[in-house]
Amino acid sequence: MIEVKNLTFSYTNKPFITDMNFDVKKGEIFGFLGPSGAGKSTLQKILLGMLPGYQGLATVGGTECRKHGDSFYQMIGVDFEYSTMYEKLTARENLEFFSSLYEGKKRPINELLERVGLENDADKKVSDYSKGMKSRLNFVKALIHDPELLFLDEPTSGLDPTNNRMMKDMILEEKKRGKTILLTTHNMQDATELCDRVAFIVGGQIYALDSPHNLIMSKGAAKLTYTWDENGERSGSCRLDCVADDQRLSKLISENRLLSIHSSEPTLNDIFIEITGRTLV
Amino acid sequence: MRMKNLFIWDVKFQARYGFYLLYTFLTILYAAFILALPISWKERAAAILIYSDPAAMGLFFMGAIVLLEKSQRVTAFMSITPVSAREYVASKVFSLCAISVVVAVIMAAASGSRSVISVAMGTLLASTVYTLCGIIVATKIVSLNQFILATVPVEIVGFVPAVLGLFLDLHPGFRLYPPVACMELVAGKEPSAVGMLLTILTIILLFWTACRLVRKMWQEQGGVKL
Repeated sequence: MIEVKNLTFSYTNKPFITDMNFDVKKGEIFGFLGPSGAGKSTLQKILLGMLPGYQGLATVGGTECRKHGDSFYQMIGVDFEYSTMYEKLTARENLEFFSSLYEGKKRPINELLERVGLENDADKKVSDYSKGMKSRLNFVKALIHDPELLFLDEPTSGLDPTNNRMMKDMILEEKKRGKTILLTTHNMQDATELCDRVAFIVGGQIYALDSPHNLIMSKGAAKLTYTWDENGERSGSCRLDCVADDQRLSKLISENRLLSIHSSEPTLNDIFIEITGRTLV
Repeated sequence: MRMKNLFIWDVKFQARYGFYLLYTFLTILYAAFILALPISWKERAAAILIYSDPAAMGLFFMGAIVLLEKSQRVTAFMSITPVSAREYVASKVFSLCAISVVVAVIMAAASGSRSVISVAMGTLLASTVYTLCGIIVATKIVSLNQFILATVPVEIVGFVPAVLGLFLDLHPGFRLYPPVACMELVAGKEPSAVGMLLTILTIILLFWTACRLVRKMWQEQGGVKL
């Protein structure tokens, strides 16, 4: 769906994106992770066909991004982090307006509003919406023309846990419907849960690209921690690659006395810091 | 189809933001004022009023409209829809010209003008020129104060020669100047053919510039801040 080869881009004489290579397959959820100023915004603008002055190859749906026509945007839906609605119009009117800008079959507005729990507020002005409601509305606006490719920027930002779950379920549903999704988030738990693959971007370069699971496992599950009852709860730990040598653990297992046992894998955030030397701020 | 939808929604937005209510009130006010004037003043007064308000409304309101869209980030979203800058600009021009022409025709009728078609044509051309100027200025500014300041030069070069031409015998060369040519039509006079041609060429140039600047504004605003 997306192919980027030897991509280099610069706003000045100094390269901002340097020799970037990756591809995103159809039906994949691909995450961009990186601190502010890492080049993610620029990369996204290139993929959206807004910065034609790049070198190398950048194609979306087989179309070279710098040579796209207006119909290019027919296959793309973008969920901006901020609201992009007419505040004086209602949610329904906004969706009707933006839907009218696209050709072809559209998704039913009522159904989408219902799906994000806004059916009872559909005829309220957007100016009366809370941040979370605007966020949900923004998301369904990106889906209204049933695009092949979705760019989602912090889609769960500002949502309460229930709506956060609902939003993630919807993203996974879109994946099941065969949509390709480019996700940008600072929320590592979201990235781990949603993305098939993630790219760590810092200083206009990709430092690592793999599935969250592989990235985590490549650094190894550092240790195993366990607890058992012996005049109160006690705990012990051992390195994961030395489990067989831990006599106490073997004994506790054979006596069925373990209260808990878990491996303490590094999080994606730990891996990001380890690989790039940067935090995601 | 998309152009038609854009136009319909632009009209709806303008209605929602009170443009139509405002112009209903202003039209009644202007018509009453014209009706109260002595007969010998009516046509000239109507021409000045039409030229300075409905015909030039695009110059004043385009700043508000584009600034509003910028502040609500709608322009950022427009950049990633199939809407072209051409369609966006044309829709804004058509929607504002529609109000301009209707108001101008009512005012011309109140003045007893016998050349309502000429008034409508003059208003249409002037409104197109001023709306395009409004869009061009609006793409470059970030506040309403900046917009008011930036439109002053446009008002001076657009209004002064046109209004003076109604009262003074200006050099015939002025008849080629697009604002004067538009005012001649609004005043029910026969404009010079070259003046009309230059007006149309000016509109083409302004349209091209407006599209270019809108595209640039979209590029600057669009994309996702990651």
